[in-house]
Amino acid sequence: MSGAHLAIRELSAGYQPGIDVVREVTLDLPPGRVTAVVGPNGAGKSTLLKTVFGFLRPRAGQVTLDGRPIHSLGPHRIKGLGVGYVPQGLNLFPQLTVEENLRMGGWTLRRDGRRLRARLDQVYDLFPALRQHRRRPAHELSGGQARMLATAREVVPEPRLLLVDEPTAGLSPALSGQVYEFLATVRRALGTSLLLVDQQIQEALEIADHVVLMDLGRVRAQGPRAEMHLARVRALIQRCLEGVDG
Amino acid sequence: MWLAVSPGLLAQFTLAGLMMGVLYALMALGITFIYGVMKTINWAMGEFYMIGSFVQYLIVSHLLGPDLWWLALPATAASVFVLGMLVQRLLLRPMFVGGVERRDEYATVITIALLLLLRSLAAVINGPYQHTPGSHLPDVTLGPLSVPGAEVAAAVVGVLVLGLFFLLLHRTWPGLALRAAAQNRIGVQTAGVDLLRLDMVAFGIGVSLAAVAGGLLAPVYLVYPTNGAVATTKGFEIIVIGGLGSIWGALVGGLLLGLAEALGSALIAPAYQNAYGFLLLILLLLIRPIGLFGERARVV
Repeated sequence: MSGAHLAIRELSAGYQPGIDVVREVTLDLPPGRVTAVVGPNGAGKSTLLKTVFGFLRPRAGQVTLDGRPIHSLGPHRIKGLGVGYVPQGLNLFPQLTVEENLRMGGWTLRRDGRRLRARLDQVYDLFPALRQHRRRPAHELSGGQARMLATAREVVPEPRLLLVDEPTAGLSPALSGQVYEFLATVRRALGTSLLLVDQQIQEALEIADHVVLMDLGRVRAQGPRAEMHLARVRALIQRCLEGVDG
Repeated sequence: MWLAVSPGLLAQFTLAGLMMGVLYALMALGITFIYGVMKTINWAMGEFYMIGSFVQYLIVSHLLGPDLWWLALPATAASVFVLGMLVQRLLLRPMFVGGVERRDEYATVITIALLLLLRSLAAVINGPYQHTPGSHLPDVTLGPLSVPGAEVAAAVVGVLVLGLFFLLLHRTWPGLALRAAAQNRIGVQTAGVDLLRLDMVAFGIGVSLAAVAGGLLAPVYLVYPTNGAVATTKGFEIIVIGGLGSIWGALVGGLLLGLAEALGSALIAPAYQNAYGFLLLILLLLIRPIGLFGERARVV
């Protein structure tokens, strides 16, 4: 399974009529690459991910996955095309067991029992700590284990593109490090493309191939990590916060 | 006021209470199930009970006859399931698309309007008449106890339906999705579930549970346009006793309400049967306001 090519063209979207939170965004995510979207609060980063996954209908523009338009599809159809979405916070089912959570992750494979079983086994191999807790309810897991389960759940259907929204929001530095290890593991194992939004710029940049800076709904700068290094990104964000254009 | 009750009679009342409790539980289960998945309280639940009792009456009286009442029940459940899905699709689903603010509250208000609509329609169509599908089931003797056959059959089938419901929830993919949706509606969408369709199925299942209760009790109580009002009241009593959103709460609450009413009738006075449930409810609110199985928000 290889990563998918996501193309976003002139995308505008918002929550209220006439007020766009994402404005004419154009981005290209090559297969198997990690793109980190950074920027100050209110830049429209999370809204961009919600729009790509179909939670929000774009007001204008196009989103294509390997050339196929997906901007008018609902989340369940986009998921069926191999796109995963990890929202902010823990996206688990607290009273379901670890195994049931993983099975829900494999919902799109439910008609192929053999493949689903194989995928579950592979996920347990990838995250061995989950195997011993498979019969425990998710709410009994430690913080780190729960984060692992949340990541593992998204891995079950072998996503070709994973949209990850603020994976370290509110986490301790130790847990943040773990989360990025999980994401790196997924990328290595599946070759999944990642579109990552995070306020923890340093950690996001360490994993990224390509960096996009957004402010007030627009893309202000983008480039490979070598160009968009930490010092430059911080300086650019500072300029955004000070209201300096460009 | 207090009656001298023999142990045999007390056992008979207890059994009757438990049997009625099973049917109350069906009703409450439907309410709590719909709330659990959709976060919407369906105030029109009693009207689906009423429709179930009418459908059962019509099929038994005009097509199958009282001996084949059990064959009418799946048809009653299926027809109300389809009706429930239609109602959800046409009246409630618009609240759940397009980012409507406070959609749960709006949806709840719509169910109140639906209650009035269905009850009025039934009154217009049926008029002031009351019906019964009748029953040829003989009384059942359990030791020293003699219980009407229709009540025993209703309780036994009620237990079977509860068993089927639990099998559906715990042994099938839609069941897993329904349990998951009750805990995290964003989560099921990110898993790839079509949540709008799942809501429709959940509503259909919930109201068909009420219809089954109505169908089973049709030969025990009369069938008429407002017979769902009492069922709704008792359903919500049970929800408060057991805890809103709790499946086990609905089951245990239903049995407790049935017992409270039966034992109150036996030991104090049958005239106040409906008051004993309220006494139980008030007592429980004082001791445990979130209900027996109610939980504060549980997060990982």
